[in-house]
Amino acid sequence: MLDRICNTEPSVVAAAAAGHETDPVVVAHVAACPSCRAAVGAVCWMRRMANDPAEPHALPNPDVIWWKAQLLRRWEAERRAAAPIERMHKAELFAGLASLAGFVGWQWSGLTKVLSSFSPVGLATWSTQTTTAGSAADPSSLVFLFGSIFLGVMILAGVHRMLSE
Amino acid sequence: MAEHAATIRSQVVSEHAAAASEATLLSEPEFQNLYRLHGRALWGYLYKVTGNAADADDLLQDSFCRLLATKFATRDDGQLRAYLFRIASNAAVDQWRRKSRADRHAAASPPEAPADASNATVMRYDMARTFGQLKPQERVMLWLAHVEGTEHREIAETLGLKATSVPVLLFRARRKLAGLLTKRGLGPG
Repeated sequence: MLDRICNTEPSVVAAAAAGHETDPVVVAHVAACPSCRAAVGAVCWMRRMANDPAEPHALPNPDVIWWKAQLLRRWEAERRAAAPIERMHKAELFAGLASLAGFVGWQWSGLTKVLSSFSPVGLATWSTQTTTAGSAADPSSLVFLFGSIFLGVMILAGVHRMLSE
Repeated sequence: MAEHAATIRSQVVSEHAAAASEATLLSEPEFQNLYRLHGRALWGYLYKVTGNAADADDLLQDSFCRLLATKFATRDDGQLRAYLFRIASNAAVDQWRRKSRADRHAAASPPEAPADASNATVMRYDMARTFGQLKPQERVMLWLAHVEGTEHREIAETLGLKATSVPVLLFRARRKLAGLLTKRGLGPG
């Protein structure tokens, strides 16, 4: 019987919620309709519970709430002010990675040359060449080497800053 | 779900912000007055919904802090109270979602009344235990609808539900409560 909704239930419930459950029309309907009787009973019980004073309890101090709210607002303002700087840090890191990728692409032949020179045979050849020619290493290799070190340091610094934050 | 609640909250905040260009934050005397008028009622609501005084304290503070971070064009007491209850309900539901199932059950089931308690205290404990057997969402919904008189649309926004689902869910919650009351011998005859 209780699993079927009565068409008049919304109005009966609204009347009970407004404290008009003793209205003769409501009383007459509720007496004949178990579904509405249960609903009105629940609504009246809710009202009774809401009006029942809770156990005596000291509310939190309003001055503390006020100052906490001011502090939270200040933090929020600071966070908003720092947001562009945060975005720039991310952009900086992204730019560093993009520069590294561009540099590697641009100096690809130099990279392969330097990497191959790291093998024992390559190092021996490079050593012989520099000794016999009496000159410094290939300039493109040096540009690549210093560029890579510079970019690596930049990226590490960026990652370190992000992690420390 | 918590993200959804946060979205709803930000929507509510932006609705208020857009309501009028001269919207301002509440001043300290306005807040003190609001707290004096509605602090106790809000705490009572949060206590009955969470079944826990410490949680009610935390949520009360959280709700007023959120209220103080929002600009209002109006100082209408009824509107501010309704907004306060909405953000408190939102905070209560967020907190409930964060808690584990075990914690939820513990918080919603106040202990039995002490043996030497007065009739009024026993009745209060009994009411709290009965109400605690409902789901938090049902408790919030029943309170907002039948005690605060909140519209279904607003309940839907607060709880992140479809407006069309609210009457059905309310109907079920009322049925469940009626069943619990009948089981405890408190139901309608």
